[in-house]
Amino acid sequence: MKLLIVEDQAKTGQYLRQGLTEAGFNTELVADGNSGQQLALSGDYALLILDVMLPGRSGWQILQAVRSAGLDTPVLFLTAKDAVEDRVHGLELGADDYLVKPFAFSELLARVRSLLRRGSATPQETSLQLADLRLDLIRRRVERSGQRIDLTAKEFALLEMLLRRQGEVLPKSLIASQVWDMNFDSDTNVIEVAIRRLRLKIDDEFPNKLIHTVRGMGYVLEERSV
Amino acid sequence: MRRLSLSSRLALLFAACTAVVSLFAGVLFNRASEAHFIELDQQQLDGKLIGLRRALQDVQPAQREARLADELSRQADLSLRITGADGQRWYDSSTQTPKDLPPQIGLSTISTDGTDYRVLNAPLYPDKSDSPHLSLLLDITHHQHFLQRMQHLIWLTVGLSALATALLGAWAARSGLRPLRRMSAVARGISAQSLNARLPEAQMPPELAEMAHSFNAMLGRLDDSFQRLSAFSADIAHELRTPLSNLLTHTQVTLTRPRPIEDYREALHSNLEELQWMAQLVNDMLYLAKADHGLLMPKREPLELADETDVLLEFFAPLAEDAGVTLTREGNARIEGDRNMLRRALSNLLDNALRFTPAAGSVSLRIAELPGAVRVSVENTGDGISAELLPRLFDRFYRADPARQEGSSEHAGLGLAITQSIVRAHGGQIRCESEAGWTRFVIELPRS
Repeated sequence: MKLLIVEDQAKTGQYLRQGLTEAGFNTELVADGNSGQQLALSGDYALLILDVMLPGRSGWQILQAVRSAGLDTPVLFLTAKDAVEDRVHGLELGADDYLVKPFAFSELLARVRSLLRRGSATPQETSLQLADLRLDLIRRRVERSGQRIDLTAKEFALLEMLLRRQGEVLPKSLIASQVWDMNFDSDTNVIEVAIRRLRLKIDDEFPNKLIHTVRGMGYVLEERSV
Repeated sequence: MRRLSLSSRLALLFAACTAVVSLFAGVLFNRASEAHFIELDQQQLDGKLIGLRRALQDVQPAQREARLADELSRQADLSLRITGADGQRWYDSSTQTPKDLPPQIGLSTISTDGTDYRVLNAPLYPDKSDSPHLSLLLDITHHQHFLQRMQHLIWLTVGLSALATALLGAWAARSGLRPLRRMSAVARGISAQSLNARLPEAQMPPELAEMAHSFNAMLGRLDDSFQRLSAFSADIAHELRTPLSNLLTHTQVTLTRPRPIEDYREALHSNLEELQWMAQLVNDMLYLAKADHGLLMPKREPLELADETDVLLEFFAPLAEDAGVTLTREGNARIEGDRNMLRRALSNLLDNALRFTPAAGSVSLRIAELPGAVRVSVENTGDGISAELLPRLFDRFYRADPARQEGSSEHAGLGLAITQSIVRAHGGQIRCESEAGWTRFVIELPRS
């Protein structure tokens, strides 16, 4: 899975490459628009991460070139400007997602994973599982160690998201957006409370905890050796 | 084109008015004196005619000429011509009179070779159809000269009085407009440092008092906005100073000596929290700046408010349950607006309400239709907010709770300001009402 980052700010580019590489992606970084476009047009990449303002050639021009070459590589834009027209312009040109600086890396990582997953249609699952936790999508039931657990609709949706993306750190903003359709930055601690209540139901009585807090980044569902 | 000053304009108008009035009066006087002269001439000529007729009837034909000469000699400006019924000139008292006279019976005025005559034509014997004609000619040149002089005088008066009123008017306008000049002097003297200058409204004439009042009110608003803006910039610096100093101190202390790996991890985590708080602050401020520049352009989606708010209630349900607060909604209305923006606005209000509601209290969201508008209110039980704090609630960085004054608290104090910006971007209004025991935020949005 090869990713291309075109970002002229050296520090931003390096940190992005490091973060994405450590998250298991094969990442390439270039700092100017022209070489960025050249590489993007090779068609070797599963995802392009483009800054809008670049020396030589803007991110939008690269996107246009890529789309007119018939490539449907997903494109994620990074920008310091948050003008509505910019966003609309980007989406009109065929961008797939849009992140405004300052953004959190966990947010970027989650979005990159969403974009990459979008292409590969996963076979219809009927149940999701991690360790002794089982979620039955058809009967909408949750069991842990054979013990039935009652969840509210939103708790079920939250657990389903965590299970589908197990091992991934999910930022609070992404959870708010996917589970509750709240698409804005909010400093409310609703998500913390919701996670705490979910924990109470599925983790508290069991020695093997599955929901973990990654401080300052979000939550992850995974089995950790005690 | 150069625009005329108000005083010049007024002076010119005064002058024009005076000119029109004096011209009118002059023309009227001229007409009246002319009519008066005609009347005098008529009387004189009529009297003369009677005398002449009598003279011609009573006297023997041989003596007629002498009698006529005698009759006419008494008045030098009068001459007589007698014309037979066949048009032949029978008698002419003077050779200098004009040859052709107007044929009609009665009074007329003619002018030849610089001399003006009033001519009275009448038959000698009014009861005979073939009577010879008498034509009496009165030299009225001196009358006409007088009238002409009058006309010149009128024009002179018109011109001079117009000039005089123009000058006097200009002076009057200038002194009448002195309050305006004072106003402009005050306006000239105003800069960012002296926004507290005001016009003396009580000393203004009534016509200007209202303008002075508006002007003062404008200065007041500018002053207020400027103060807020200055305070905002100062607040930004202040808000950022605390997390920045935390970051600096913590990072430097961590780096002063080697530590176990766990300590570094802890330091980075702590820094991350500060940084996230700062990022949120910057994002919120950018959002507000966008709103200030009128760049917050809400979409116009048809929204069912009950559905929208139920989604929010569901979102906040865990928080409410945790706090032991009941969260309810009643009413419904349809509106056109931006779903995400309105959710954000209401979520700030709900979050705020839940934070200040004591356990076993309640937060109720009510939707009501008003004529032409929709009202959404969020009310919570708990200690009220004192009246003097209400207008400041929507100020940026304002926190009603003094315990949260310092930066690096969880909430930056921009939530209500953002809600207000969103409501305003939708053309609506927000206010807060509070009494002992409850606090209510009321949003009113235009329906379309």
